[in-house]
Amino acid sequence: MLFAADLLSANQGLVVWFSVVFLALLYLLRRFAWGPITSALTEREETIAGSLNRAEAALEESKRLQESNAQARRENEQQAQRLLREAREEAEQFREREVQRTREEINALRKQAQEDIARDKEKALQALRGEVADLAILAAEKVLQENLDGSRQRVLVDRFIDELSTQKHNQFPYQA
Amino acid sequence: MRSARRRLCLWCMLIFLAPTTVMAADDEEFDAVHHTADGYYLDFSPIGKIELPRIFIVRSEITGYSLRTYWTTKSALRSGEMHASIHSEGTEEDAHAEEELDAEALIASGDHLDATLVPNDGEVVLDLSMTRHLMFALLASGILLTIFLQLAEKYKRGVGRTSAPQGLFQNLFETLVIFVRDDIAIPNLGRDKYQRFLPYLLTAFFFILTCNLLGLVPFGATATSNLNITAVLAAFTFVLTQFNGSRDHWRHVFWPPNMPIPVKILLIPTEIMGLFTKPIALAIRLFANLTAGHLVILSLIGMIFTFTLLFGEVVGYGVVPVSLGFTLFVMCLEVLIAFIQAYIFTILSALFIGMAIADHSHSEAH
Repeated sequence: MLFAADLLSANQGLVVWFSVVFLALLYLLRRFAWGPITSALTEREETIAGSLNRAEAALEESKRLQESNAQARRENEQQAQRLLREAREEAEQFREREVQRTREEINALRKQAQEDIARDKEKALQALRGEVADLAILAAEKVLQENLDGSRQRVLVDRFIDELSTQKHNQFPYQA
Repeated sequence: MRSARRRLCLWCMLIFLAPTTVMAADDEEFDAVHHTADGYYLDFSPIGKIELPRIFIVRSEITGYSLRTYWTTKSALRSGEMHASIHSEGTEEDAHAEEELDAEALIASGDHLDATLVPNDGEVVLDLSMTRHLMFALLASGILLTIFLQLAEKYKRGVGRTSAPQGLFQNLFETLVIFVRDDIAIPNLGRDKYQRFLPYLLTAFFFILTCNLLGLVPFGATATSNLNITAVLAAFTFVLTQFNGSRDHWRHVFWPPNMPIPVKILLIPTEIMGLFTKPIALAIRLFANLTAGHLVILSLIGMIFTFTLLFGEVVGYGVVPVSLGFTLFVMCLEVLIAFIQAYIFTILSALFIGMAIADHSHSEAH
């Protein structure tokens, strides 16, 4: 072999050529390949990250809504309970008031009835007394007519009348 | 059943490969370095060689600067304007031993492809000849453009932009692109600044990877096992690093903080050297790794030649399975190295650029 090959030989021509080739490659790839590829990758990653974030946010939102719904439901239930309780209490109060009123009315009626009765009794007693006096007089006439022992009868009649007036409020003697 | 068939295939390979290599050892010299080095031809041996165009910028006393182009080395020699010289750049002391060689005899021997061509009437200012490694760098660029323009087209159509990526092709390359972005660019350059450098890192990664893998293809050559090419790649990183250096970066180089003045004076030249050692290390690392792998493979194949020459054909045949076994192993290792070196070049580039663009206060430890 006449010429020894050299692994370390410098070749300026190759350096020039290769610099041009690599620069051209760099330009072409940068302009037409890496740009679209990396921008597409970034865009895709951003889309995915955005979707994930949105899903996360939506989940958070739905949780929040659920929470607030539950809260609202609890509040509503409590309010319903309270209303119910209030209504029941009110009804109870109303009933009690009615009962009270009715009782009072009954009492009043009874009182009036008693008064009426008392008044009627008094009236009846008065009437009776007059009647009794008349009867007594009639009886006395009869006695007088038949028995002249007048003075003694007179005493009996007076005593009788006195007894009547003292007993007028206690017991009607003719009732017994 | 399957393993039996596989074993059969392996034996067929050995039976067919062994005679060619052992017989080749009889009449041809085997030079691993020669096979790894660059050349002015595409090597499809044993089918043939395709010579590449030679382009020279020549300065002569008579015509001044001129551009001379020839389709092949052969035609350059036959044109009568150039002659071969044994004088190579490395051997200055042999300058006087320069002798004219007979063009036709040289072409017949096949050595003309390795000769240094010298104009008859002047000197070569710049040898812009096409070389094998340049061709493979171009091929790699072509492959990259084909793949990634097609890929970009897919993304432009909306596949992978608004929908999931579809198919092996898109998924495979998207994974690699995302790997470079998320595991190389962003950790070293920071989320705010990585976008400026991502195109370079992606280009460097895929270019180096493609070149490395092309070296493993039959008849292929590894552009990245050429120091000139790795030097250009490293120079790109160097330029990007220095042109984007922050104030902190330059202050660190020319007036290192938190040091006594005498130490600063000692450190400044070291720091300036450090600026250059980084890309030089990048260039040499890539070149050496790729060259070493090829040299190991060729040396393992060469074992067959050596043993045949030393101990005869029988031993030569005996060495074939061992040699091919090791070669297969190193080939697998080379696939790994192809990826690892592309990764290392890219991540170190990102690291160097990241270090230079970082704005950090010197109160933090670093």
